[in-house]
Amino acid sequence: MREPPKNRIALDAIKAWKITAIIYISGLWLLTIGTGVAIYIFDFPYWVTMIAVLISILSTYFFVFVLPALRWKRWRYEIFEQEIYIQYGIWVMTRTLVPMIRVQHVDTKQGPVLKKFRLASVTISTAATTHEIPALNEEDAGELRDRISALARVDEDDV
Amino acid sequence: MFKAKRMHPATILFKFLQALKGWFFYFVIGFFAVRENHFMYFLLIVIAIVILLLTYSILSWIRFTYRIEQDELWIKYGVFIRKERHVSKNRIQSIDLTQGIIHRIFHLAKVQIETASGGTGAEISLQAVQYEEGKRIRREFKEFTSEVDSTDENGMQNNDKTYTITFKRLLLAGATSGSAGVILAFIGVAFSEMEQFIPEQFYDSMILWVIGLSIIFVIGLVIILFVVVWILGILGTVVKYWNFTITKNDEELFITRGLLEKKQLTVPIKRIQAVGMTESIIRQPFGYVTLFAEVAGSTLDQGEDFSTVLFPILRKGEVEEFLQHLIPAYSLDMKEITQVPKRGLKYYLIRASLFFVLLSAAMIYFLPQLSWVLILIFIAFLFLGYFRYKDAGFSLDKNRLAIRYRKLSKTTVMLYPKRIQALEKKQHILHQKEDLATLDIAIIGKMGAGKHYKLKELKEEDVHRLAEWYSREVRR
Repeated sequence: MREPPKNRIALDAIKAWKITAIIYISGLWLLTIGTGVAIYIFDFPYWVTMIAVLISILSTYFFVFVLPALRWKRWRYEIFEQEIYIQYGIWVMTRTLVPMIRVQHVDTKQGPVLKKFRLASVTISTAATTHEIPALNEEDAGELRDRISALARVDEDDV
Repeated sequence: MFKAKRMHPATILFKFLQALKGWFFYFVIGFFAVRENHFMYFLLIVIAIVILLLTYSILSWIRFTYRIEQDELWIKYGVFIRKERHVSKNRIQSIDLTQGIIHRIFHLAKVQIETASGGTGAEISLQAVQYEEGKRIRREFKEFTSEVDSTDENGMQNNDKTYTITFKRLLLAGATSGSAGVILAFIGVAFSEMEQFIPEQFYDSMILWVIGLSIIFVIGLVIILFVVVWILGILGTVVKYWNFTITKNDEELFITRGLLEKKQLTVPIKRIQAVGMTESIIRQPFGYVTLFAEVAGSTLDQGEDFSTVLFPILRKGEVEEFLQHLIPAYSLDMKEITQVPKRGLKYYLIRASLFFVLLSAAMIYFLPQLSWVLILIFIAFLFLGYFRYKDAGFSLDKNRLAIRYRKLSKTTVMLYPKRIQALEKKQHILHQKEDLATLDIAIIGKMGAGKHYKLKELKEEDVHRLAEWYSREVRR
């Protein structure tokens, strides 16, 4: 666990995350505009609007422009014959080891945003935990899923 | 072998009561809502619902049959949609018999059959069959069946494979259970909720009356209340763990306990994920511990922190011998403990007192006259943080890992690497600069969910050492 895992996830992940973030943030902006209108109509002190706008601008900056790139930079994974090794997390860097024989099933998953960039995420489940490698190229994700499920087939009779 | 059978008719009663319990709340609300106005209609609706529930209970009893065929248990059930379930003998993990008070009156037992599927999955429960029939089912599906009858009073002495709680220990367990605190808190909450129902006037005069009494009398009252609650706590423990007996039979542990509700449960040793002991803050000074096991997929014994109690109370010195006799693969004797480095202490102190900040904010707002108490609480929290720091640690054997940590009670847990589902190292930004890291290992818990053990702010180097021990390949 001294060295980080070798492989990075797809670079397009940043774009996909940005779009997802924009979708969420637009909800915040709608709320802000709604508040602004209400304050204008009911003649409440307008510094409330100022603060709301400020918060929205700051969150847009962070969630759309800063975090996706940082997140991508931190995300790494590596698949060994007997182990899965992943690293992620901006504030709290987490490195996880999952032995192949503990893997119960592997799924690939693709939402509309990921689909647009031809990306997919891989979810690995053990009897106690689930781990997700987000945003790999479609082909890579499929291949990875098949590889892990083939490697995980080594069965141990006891749980 | 067996023909298709129904459960005992008392099942109707159980089902009916259970269904009624779900509706009771609505009846009470309805009663208060309508009062006099439309009471007749309300009563009619209630009667209709009760009759419906009763009919449904009878039907579902009639429509539920079970039989044993070719080493399989078949059940057929469902009033409208018929369902059939087969469970084969070698998939059955454990068969537990429970007898509640009603069961005891009719000499019945509830049979719970667990398979490997965790929690909500294919698990069969026969709510009431003749006790003998329950034992026969168990014999049918488990080669070994312990003939330790729970009514047998001879097993009082501890031989090699059987441990029974003595009455003295049982009382001690009750006295130190700490449930007094829980009950008191419960009464406190209940009372503060009641407040709104008590007429204002009565409440005021009550307060005046209490203030009018001498302070000594009030203190005496509080002490009496505390003692009563304490005795209630002891009684609760005695009833729950009455004649607690654990027996080893080949690959299974067999536990019986209970005075009013008798429970018999089997723990397949193969399904044990971890074994541990808890030293609660009340028991720790006296040197007593509670022994427990994390068992995969079993759903019994809820409300005990979801762990299966292997023995309610043991002297710390007796633990190793107990484990030697019953599950020799496990030992809680930690050697060469790796602890949290000094530079980790500040995080422990901050975390412990974080809750205090919230508490003090609330306290200053609601009870400003009691602010001086805050200092005492603050010191208590700092101590808690310090002890958490001091107790946290792990020790590594060739193929065994023991972990010790404290939330409020000090807990020691031992497990094997093959039980660990995933191992994580977590570092936040401050940790990275100080070469500290948090360890998080997950094992299979109850109800199919994972159970995580965390050791915070270990030396990064120690976490790496542990990862290397665990890993098959990532040794870099």
